[in-house]
Amino acid sequence: MSEPTEVQQTVLTILSDVLRVSVDDLRQHPVLAAYQWDSLSMLEALAQLESSLGVSLDLRFYQQARTVDDLLSLIADSRAGTPAGQR
Amino acid sequence: MINDKDLLSILGEQVAAAQAPSRDVRTALAALTDPMLARRAGRLLKDLQPADNELRPVRVGLLATCTVGPLTELLHTSLVGVGALPNIVLGDYGNFELSLAAGQFAADGDPDLLCLLLDDSYFLPGDFDAADVTSLTEPIADRVAQLRELIGAAVQRTSATVVLHTVPLPAALRNTLISWRARAALARAWHQLNAELLALAEEHRQVVVLDLVHVLADLPAVTRDARLHSFADLPYTDAALYALARELGRVVQARLGLSRKVLALDLDNTLWGGVIGEVGAHSVVLGGLYPGKCYRELQLAARRLREQGVILVLASKNDPELVEQALAKHPEMLLRSDAFSVLAVNWSAKDGNLKQAAESLSLSTESFVFMDDSSFERGAIGNELPEIALVAADGDPAHLVNSLLKPGFFDVLELTDTDRQRPALYRSRALRSDFAGGFGSSEDYLQALQIELTLTEVDEFAVPRVAQLAARTNQFNLTGLRYDEATTAAMSTDPEHLVVSLTVRDRFGDEGIVGALFVERKDATWRVLNFVLSCRVLGRGIELAALDWVCTQAAAAGAVAVEGRFVPSSKNSAAADFWRRAGFAATDSDGVYHLKLQDRRDPAPAWISVRERKEALA
Repeated sequence: MSEPTEVQQTVLTILSDVLRVSVDDLRQHPVLAAYQWDSLSMLEALAQLESSLGVSLDLRFYQQARTVDDLLSLIADSRAGTPAGQR
Repeated sequence: MINDKDLLSILGEQVAAAQAPSRDVRTALAALTDPMLARRAGRLLKDLQPADNELRPVRVGLLATCTVGPLTELLHTSLVGVGALPNIVLGDYGNFELSLAAGQFAADGDPDLLCLLLDDSYFLPGDFDAADVTSLTEPIADRVAQLRELIGAAVQRTSATVVLHTVPLPAALRNTLISWRARAALARAWHQLNAELLALAEEHRQVVVLDLVHVLADLPAVTRDARLHSFADLPYTDAALYALARELGRVVQARLGLSRKVLALDLDNTLWGGVIGEVGAHSVVLGGLYPGKCYRELQLAARRLREQGVILVLASKNDPELVEQALAKHPEMLLRSDAFSVLAVNWSAKDGNLKQAAESLSLSTESFVFMDDSSFERGAIGNELPEIALVAADGDPAHLVNSLLKPGFFDVLELTDTDRQRPALYRSRALRSDFAGGFGSSEDYLQALQIELTLTEVDEFAVPRVAQLAARTNQFNLTGLRYDEATTAAMSTDPEHLVVSLTVRDRFGDEGIVGALFVERKDATWRVLNFVLSCRVLGRGIELAALDWVCTQAAAAGAVAVEGRFVPSSKNSAAADFWRRAGFAATDSDGVYHLKLQDRRDPAPAWISVRERKEALA
């Protein structure tokens, strides 16, 4: 069960870097719209998330994500639904 | 060597302290391959405002037919990596053609570099009849013709180096056409489009065209992402944009004269396989089948660099006689002794040898690249002479040529005759050093050299070399004003300016164009805007003879005084006392020196005969 924690940590680190806020702030206020979550930062986070986690996300759902948790569940779905060989 | 992990934190500290990234950080930036890291580094570098003048400022205008995405950040990384301090001004989205046509590329004046980011959408018609391929190919041809006209008009209005690139054909479009014949017709039209773009570099001296199509083909990464294209009009991935940014970094390096001139090579397991001291001159691995052919190919690559003006230096810890034997007698040897301007084959430390080689060539070690298979030797040079670029020659020898050539250390915008002749010039320079030993005084020596200085008003043939000198000369560069080709060309035909080239020959050979004077002559006081002189010919009084000639011209034209400036940089201290030596007096204005022509004494050295090329003078 350690994997979700690792993924969560990776996601938080990437978002904190892209949005220039601390991981603690993101934990306390996970609503992305509270930060500079514009199309540029969204795409930068997307590139980092996909290369770090080896996933390919559907942009339709990615752009609808409102919170850090929404992103985490999107990534979890992608990991679960995609056989490893096709990642 | 700084690893990727530490790079961002060190960089962050230096930016916060308003320091230019140190040389090891810049080396690490230049070596970065991960576009994500490059983007993060670029974000830090956007805030860089160094208090020192370690980096060379460059203003970059960026116009695009699509979203530029992270290109600005990536450019910061690649440009700082080559020693530049970029100020990037981004054109308005959707205003590509308008900005080009209006000729306004930056709010605060003309940029040094104008980059055009192009994508396929610019060239494609809104709709076409898929059953008739000409309904697709003809509009493509029209569109590229329009762009060529726009660029042709834009270069008239800017002195910037305009950089554009070839454009990849998207697979989706290729596959839209289902007949192979139509696909071939489309591919042909697309190759033609790219050929037309590349032709711009031949038509306009200030245009550089990068072959992005082939750069991307060599990239082991995804270069397009349909989601990004669709969502954000971003046709290229970070990896593709970073590849472009790195190519642009090479252009900036060449544009600013930061390219290298000297390649210092090790022998054992670099220019040949094996250790000569163990196997003997006849048994080194060179030529024939793999791996010998790889070493021969490296020699060929070095020879081709030499043909283009790169000076070769041999830096090997070996028995010189054994090496001489191999260089002279090995049947597969492509680089014989005479290919090298300096042979440093001995048992001394290589850093000392390279320093000595630089001295005998009158070049700075900053213009050196050092290639060696030993990590110890590279590490020692990295410690002692961190300004020298290092190339690792260990590992599979099949990679040798690529390791040497891929970073583009020696890139220039245009090859001049002086480039072609440089290795021979520097060989005679080394001979001159030997000759110097036999004279009682340096004046005797200079007399015996029979130096002849020719001053010629610059014409269009000399413009590229003069602009290149202005870009590359650091030690004797009085004001640091680096007039590029377009400005030099404009000044050379303007009656209010005088641009003069200096050509020097002596008993050992012709040095070619070694310097230039840029003078404003519209008032009774002539102003020397800049004077650059190659370090190759310093110490012979040539600068005094040339300035004396300018004063003579000024007096003949009725001027009463000549004024000049000295703007100190981190490298031009050699020229700090030039104006005083020439008899000029410091004024109240900082760095400005003045000479009333009536007070003029004759400081021209007696050992130089000065000529002017009358036919070229107005």
